[in-house]
Amino acid sequence: MSEIDIQEFVGGFIAEADQLVAAATAGLLELEMANDRGEARPKTVRDLFRALHTIKGLSGMMGIQPIVDIAHAFETVVRAADQRGGRIAPRAVELGLIAMRAVAERVRAVADRQPIAAPPEALLDELARVETLGETTSAPTPAIISSWDRKLSAGERQQIATALGERRSVYTLTFTPSDANSARGITIATVRADVGKLGEIVKVAPRAVPQTDDAPAGLVFELLVISDATTSALAEAVASTPDRVVPLAALEPPELATLPVDDEISPIGRSYVRVELDRLDDLQEQLSGLVVSRFRFEREVANLAATGADVRALREITDAQERQLRALRRGILRARMVRVAEVLEPLSLLVRSLVKPGIKEVRLALDVGDTELDKAVGDRLLPAIVHLVRNAIDHAIEPIVERERIGKPRAGQIVIKCRQGAGNRLVLSVADDGRGIDREQIARRSGRQTVDDSDLLDVLTTPGFSTRDHATETSGRGLGMDIVRRIAVRDLGGELKISTTPGAGTTFELEVPLTIAIIDVFSFECSKQAFVVPVAAIEEIFELSEHRRIEGPVADPGRLPISICERRGRTVPIIPLGMMLRLGETAGAHKALVVRRGGEPLAFAVDRMLGRHEVVVRPIEDILARVPGVAGATDLGDGRPTLLLDLVELGASITTWRAGYSS
Amino acid sequence: MTRLLIVDDSKVIRDMVAACLRPLGDVTFDFAGSGLEAIERLALAPYDLVVLDLNMPDVGGVEVIEFIRSQDKLRSLPILVVTTRGDDASRTRVLEAGASGFMAKPFAPEQILVEVRGLLGSAPQ
Amino acid sequence: MTLHVAFRVGSGEYAVDARDVLHLETFTQATHVPGAPEFVAGLVQVRGKLVPVVDLRTRFGVTAGQRTLDNRVIVVKVGARVAGLLVDSARDIVQLDESTFEPPPELVGDQSAGFIKAVASSAQRLLLIVDVPRVIGEEVRHA
Repeated sequence: MSEIDIQEFVGGFIAEADQLVAAATAGLLELEMANDRGEARPKTVRDLFRALHTIKGLSGMMGIQPIVDIAHAFETVVRAADQRGGRIAPRAVELGLIAMRAVAERVRAVADRQPIAAPPEALLDELARVETLGETTSAPTPAIISSWDRKLSAGERQQIATALGERRSVYTLTFTPSDANSARGITIATVRADVGKLGEIVKVAPRAVPQTDDAPAGLVFELLVISDATTSALAEAVASTPDRVVPLAALEPPELATLPVDDEISPIGRSYVRVELDRLDDLQEQLSGLVVSRFRFEREVANLAATGADVRALREITDAQERQLRALRRGILRARMVRVAEVLEPLSLLVRSLVKPGIKEVRLALDVGDTELDKAVGDRLLPAIVHLVRNAIDHAIEPIVERERIGKPRAGQIVIKCRQGAGNRLVLSVADDGRGIDREQIARRSGRQTVDDSDLLDVLTTPGFSTRDHATETSGRGLGMDIVRRIAVRDLGGELKISTTPGAGTTFELEVPLTIAIIDVFSFECSKQAFVVPVAAIEEIFELSEHRRIEGPVADPGRLPISICERRGRTVPIIPLGMMLRLGETAGAHKALVVRRGGEPLAFAVDRMLGRHEVVVRPIEDILARVPGVAGATDLGDGRPTLLLDLVELGASITTWRAGYSS
Repeated sequence: MTRLLIVDDSKVIRDMVAACLRPLGDVTFDFAGSGLEAIERLALAPYDLVVLDLNMPDVGGVEVIEFIRSQDKLRSLPILVVTTRGDDASRTRVLEAGASGFMAKPFAPEQILVEVRGLLGSAPQ
Repeated sequence: MTLHVAFRVGSGEYAVDARDVLHLETFTQATHVPGAPEFVAGLVQVRGKLVPVVDLRTRFGVTAGQRTLDNRVIVVKVGARVAGLLVDSARDIVQLDESTFEPPPELVGDQSAGFIKAVASSAQRLLLIVDVPRVIGEEVRHA
């Protein structure tokens, strides 16, 4: 360009282009979600169209033809969608996202002063051929009696019809521009913004009027608005008076009555109260206090009984209290429950943003039904699931070319399922149909042979372990598999399992409690110190003296002496817990607690069992006290922390245990 | 003093057009980011020429032209439409609606300068 | 002039900025955490929160003494972390003028060296200002 210097405008161009691409992308994601729900979004489509058109014009002025071509190709598709009442075919949405990414890359190239690549032919081809949604809108658009009738497009009519169907109010607002208003900073632009905050603006139309004192410019603007705001608020927004706010009178054609009304959202049905999570947390805190209190009371009753007093009446009361507290707890927990589907909602958008278009294709399927879980659990679980999904996309799912070569479907699948597990638990699985995990590679990297899948998991979840030399673009160093394990197991008191088939795929299973507030535990004593373990983790408890015990072979005196016991036709290894925890002199171990690790039974010898309780377990947050095998701490009623042990995790460090090893 | 109204929803383009037209000399620029704002401005103050983009929110360019032409005092206001749709059908539609001139994006600075000079020169004073 | 909490560990006198201190608690016992570093006395419960307690005698390399009723746990907050410092006694709150702080001397004898960030003098006393984040160990390795 000769007389003006394009360079002057590059900065502004990049800023505007970035903004437009972001807006277009957001619009596309919204349309995708709307598609899932079978809804139309005429306004979003229109905004999308304009964004594309502006990108096209802007790039044209800057002389960047490749972006013009891409924008134009997609703009055509969107125009067709607008004419069909605001619905855009899923494949078109995907192409749009790919197109936006292509534009963004080229804008980046402008910023970095790199050459700008020609538009991808395949993309342009497909955009030209993509099928648009052919169906007409489901409900016939009602005749809206008003002067707006002639001015509205099909999409806009549908918008009004839907609003009226949902019993929302529709108004015509009139704004009169004038020098006086301009002097006060009130222009059609500001009015649009203000009204936009109060509702949805369907259309704005100018109308010429005779020049009078009321309308000194001979002009008024009429705004057609869907809003739940008061008429005075709306009037203020257009610098007018409430009597000039005109509700839209629409004929209710008989067809509208047959529009399916979703009972779930009808206000005349269920009533909802919004509760802040904090308030529920407070309630639970109170409840926990009650539980501890009742436990103490129970102990006093036991002490009293030991003196010979008749405590039957007292026992009845504490039993009743236990039932009542249980019911109360269930009630509060139900109030905190959220649907798993809701918790995992951000995942589909995430997958979208992580996949490099044209290189890999990934489909995420959520098969979680209506299962619910505690919001606090859900909040902690999400980062773990996000990491597993990222990992699958980064490492497991092969690029399109590779998949097609080996005969797999073009798009990689990640399926998240959930089901109720044993006890009060939820089992969430994240399965991909990608490469599977190569044991050979793992063995090489870690120097350990892995015999089975649970061994493999141990290796993968060793802190700092990675099958890549560098952090990949999406997985980064932020969250490793060790942290996934920590979230699932230590923080939530659950379990993490893996099963993988090289070439076919990998499945991770997270088993977590539905709630983390109160759990059922056994308490026991080991070398004069009390501990608790979740009842759910214990397979059985047996009396050691009643079984034949053989001292196992010990490699050297510095290691844990493991004995073997025969139980129900199986041999069970027995670990001296007091020794493992370095607790000092033990009075003699009498009981064995059996857990299952990787499918095999494993027993820990403890001094004596104390009881069974429902307790509040708190995670140990500070690193100083975070150690393997300790999953949290609780209060058994004496005001002192009692540690909650994770025996399965302890089991993992049996072979590496060394006597006299202090940190 | 020539008063020009430049209408486009992109700030970059508004600035570019102004830069292209600065050589006109004794000229001031006002800007509008949408058809509605353009209509508002035109109602409140006199202009010598409007440079109008077609692609805008709420009210499309053609509607803006039609509206402008429907008002007596603006009937002979020179309107130069600037658009990315350079095809003949668009051009015809736009001119039928009442535009005075039509330019396709992208255009060279001298192109728009010449066009605007011509429209200003032939406009009744 | 800033308020500091002054305390004793062994024969030394120390202080921490009162703004970092949440509570002062008496100490009876802590729940030992197997596998935690040696200087971690264990966990205590303070106002419903689980707080790890650092035994400053161990941390500063002072010979272990008898626990007495004077023992206190100074509960401190560093960023998002809350931890307790177990000291022999903590009696005073003093005003210290930060402009008079001197860098810690080269030889302080015991291993408290790395944990002291300054020396202050107040009313004929020398107080060693403790570097709390270092004491509670930003980098900790476990057994």
